[in-house]
Amino acid sequence: MEAVVKYLPHRRAIGSSRPARHRELVTLTALAWIVVTFVPASDAQTPKRGGTLRVSYGNEIAHLDFHTAPGYEMMWVAMNVGCGLLNITPDGKFVGDAAESWQMSSDGLLYSFKLRNNVLFHDGTKVDAAAVKFSIERLMDPATRSGMRPFYESIHSVEILDPQNVQIRLKHPYAFMLHMLAAYRTGFIIYSPAATQKYSLEDRKQGKPGAVVGCGPFRLIEWVKGSHLVMERFDKYFVPGLPYLDRVVIRVIKDPVTEMAAFKAGEIDFIASFSPEHVDTLRAQSPRAQIMTSKETTPMLAAMKVTVPKDGKPMSKERAPHPIFGDLRARKAIGCYGIDRQEIVKIAFKGQATPWVGMTAPGTLDTVDVNHLCPYDQARAKALLAEVGYGPQKPLTFELMTNTEKSVFSVIATVIKEQMARIGVTANIRLVDKVTWMTAANQDGPWDMYVEDLLSQLTLDSNNFLSTSGAAWNHSRHTDTKVDEYYARYAREMDPVRRRAIAKELQEFVADKMYWNVISGSPFYMVAQPWMKGYVYNAEFEVHYDKVWLDK
Amino acid sequence: MRTYILKRLLQIVPTVLMITLVVFVMMRSVPGDPVVALLGDGYTEEDAIKVREAYGLNKPILVQYVIWLGKLCQGDWGISILSGRPVLQDVLVRLPVTLELIVLSMGVALVIAIPAAIIGALRQNTWADYTATSVAMIGVSIPEFFIGVLLLLLFSIGLGGLLPSSGWVYLPGTCPMMVCGVSLWGNVQHVLMPAIALGVGRAAILTRLLRTSMLEVIRTEYVTTARAKGLAERPVVFKHALKNALIPTVTVMGLQVGFLIGGAIVVETLFAMPGLGTFGIDAIIGRDYQQVQGFTLITAFAFVVINLIVDLTYTFLDPRIRYA
Repeated sequence: MEAVVKYLPHRRAIGSSRPARHRELVTLTALAWIVVTFVPASDAQTPKRGGTLRVSYGNEIAHLDFHTAPGYEMMWVAMNVGCGLLNITPDGKFVGDAAESWQMSSDGLLYSFKLRNNVLFHDGTKVDAAAVKFSIERLMDPATRSGMRPFYESIHSVEILDPQNVQIRLKHPYAFMLHMLAAYRTGFIIYSPAATQKYSLEDRKQGKPGAVVGCGPFRLIEWVKGSHLVMERFDKYFVPGLPYLDRVVIRVIKDPVTEMAAFKAGEIDFIASFSPEHVDTLRAQSPRAQIMTSKETTPMLAAMKVTVPKDGKPMSKERAPHPIFGDLRARKAIGCYGIDRQEIVKIAFKGQATPWVGMTAPGTLDTVDVNHLCPYDQARAKALLAEVGYGPQKPLTFELMTNTEKSVFSVIATVIKEQMARIGVTANIRLVDKVTWMTAANQDGPWDMYVEDLLSQLTLDSNNFLSTSGAAWNHSRHTDTKVDEYYARYAREMDPVRRRAIAKELQEFVADKMYWNVISGSPFYMVAQPWMKGYVYNAEFEVHYDKVWLDK
Repeated sequence: MRTYILKRLLQIVPTVLMITLVVFVMMRSVPGDPVVALLGDGYTEEDAIKVREAYGLNKPILVQYVIWLGKLCQGDWGISILSGRPVLQDVLVRLPVTLELIVLSMGVALVIAIPAAIIGALRQNTWADYTATSVAMIGVSIPEFFIGVLLLLLFSIGLGGLLPSSGWVYLPGTCPMMVCGVSLWGNVQHVLMPAIALGVGRAAILTRLLRTSMLEVIRTEYVTTARAKGLAERPVVFKHALKNALIPTVTVMGLQVGFLIGGAIVVETLFAMPGLGTFGIDAIIGRDYQQVQGFTLITAFAFVVINLIVDLTYTFLDPRIRYA
């Protein structure tokens, strides 16, 4: 309607200079034109059924056991093939998935979920309380080896009240129970007990037809590693009318140049994770593309190792300070005052990121801006280094490891090297592949500093398995149990105001001790063709195709 | 002849095994642990130990090799550590893509090299010769990925999507999966740019080599005799000169297969093709030992067999050559 109002005066203006009959003709033609042009345009906002969404992933899917496979690529499949209890919206509201309603007891120890009565697994069996209990217990079982296990540790038991009602009893309050169930990694995915017992883990990992049984809007048809993954509309999905698409085909295109060419040529509809370095190029090449992003939820780290094994055996419980960064003054000189975060963002991200010191990224829940704790100050950095005994007579040299997964890592490492030179420090860059980096970092290998962005964080709580003293991913190997206490207090505090105060304390403490050295946020982009409609961007946390439709 | 072929076929077995052994040992000497990649953010040292035990990665390297070999003899190529998929199944899915790419890129190379070399040799030191030589020089100097990107920019972006930038469409009757794009024309469209990107460099090498051979051959007495007998230029060139000049070229063609496999890794990655090249590179990057072994086995086997075929081609090109 708005378009009609804008359009009519223009047509009248043309018609007014012509004879009356012509004027009528022009008016009629104009009206006809308006009907033809604008009526379908308003119809276009009504979702259309059918079509195939062609998605591009930049990395290969690891495997298809949703409870154990690493990587976002698998997670984004799991969110569409599987269903859980609830999901989270971009503004932080919880919405029911298989759960119709839920409530928490006043002491925060009991969560009750009522399931919808029309939720079916893709093999036709019903999703019930037993399936929920089975899936949670599978995730909690150490034999499953799920990366989610640490977040289920607060669960005491799962009780089936009746086929539609299930209760989760906690050992202690856990303020992020719903966040965790909604969107930590894949979010909680319900497994079919029958299919899980019928097929082996290997069958599921391989994506054998029948073995990967979910209750989501799409069912898995085929996964051929290195080629494609195909999902098809599940006709008995519990939300009537959804999904709109008939099919989703995912292809892996690793080279961003090829990805851009395929996008421009209209061969793909959606790039699930687009390289930030190429966003400007893509914007120039495809001006109508929908480029989606938000405040960063992934921190870019320049991690420093705090302790090393005393006996030289990796992962040893007996720790000694790292020869360089075991000293807080050296950590502060290098990581805090010696790094110009503004410059890194300007050069490595063309200004498209936020310089940041706090341990959680700018877009994460309960993040705190502690940038004032680490101003770029060469003189202070040099003074601290002199205190430790480094200077022109005894220059400090350390190794700066980074990996080839993203080209931006090397750029950041190069800028840091240059910044170190300004304070008389030599940083020798060691470029390795991702697995070598992961091995060195996870297995307590010999490294001094590394540049990486680990993973996206929905809440500060979701970072605990990367930074508590006993965590496997505590790469800096700090041994400060005060960090663990902060995390525990934070996660158990049910009052949001008090919780935020603890979050602030924790982030200031970590920044002060330089256990977790953040450079900036790490931007994340998704790109869609103009004809892809209905997609709700929620960073890496929720990637759902059920409401997506194609306006072609 | 039959004995020769049999001997050569038997030689394939130790050669391929030696290659797989070397790669097996080398891969395990490279830093990086596949278990770390497998467990991802669920990594704990305790779980890693259990997984290593489950995959036999805690055993001595040679014991692991013998186990792998034993299974191979029973037709079991192993299970990918990262994806849990049978390696042989994935190799068979990807093999046709790479085979087609290699055959067609060699075809592209020959289609360019043979006429260019003949013109260059017959019209030595003319503009035609200089052009052929210069183009060959440029072809040798430009890496496959760069030619690939130029082709992408020209045909996929510049000319409004004339050719698809990525992916693969199978030839009718060759789809090894449930869901495939299948069409002859689609296949041609998808393979054209990768084959040109991979073939141009080889064409350049073959042009230079064949031109030199042709120059030698056309100055030999039997070619002069053929001309003196009044034979037309075409049979002189194609029947007498080219056939003999091709012998060193064919030898190099066989050796170029190794480079083509290496180049296929780059080209397949650039054009996002589901071939053996991307399979191999993913395996190496992920330290997926079983997958690396599968890749090595198939490529080593292909290389040795193609070189055997090349050796046998000599008898066709030069009937004087006989194998005892």
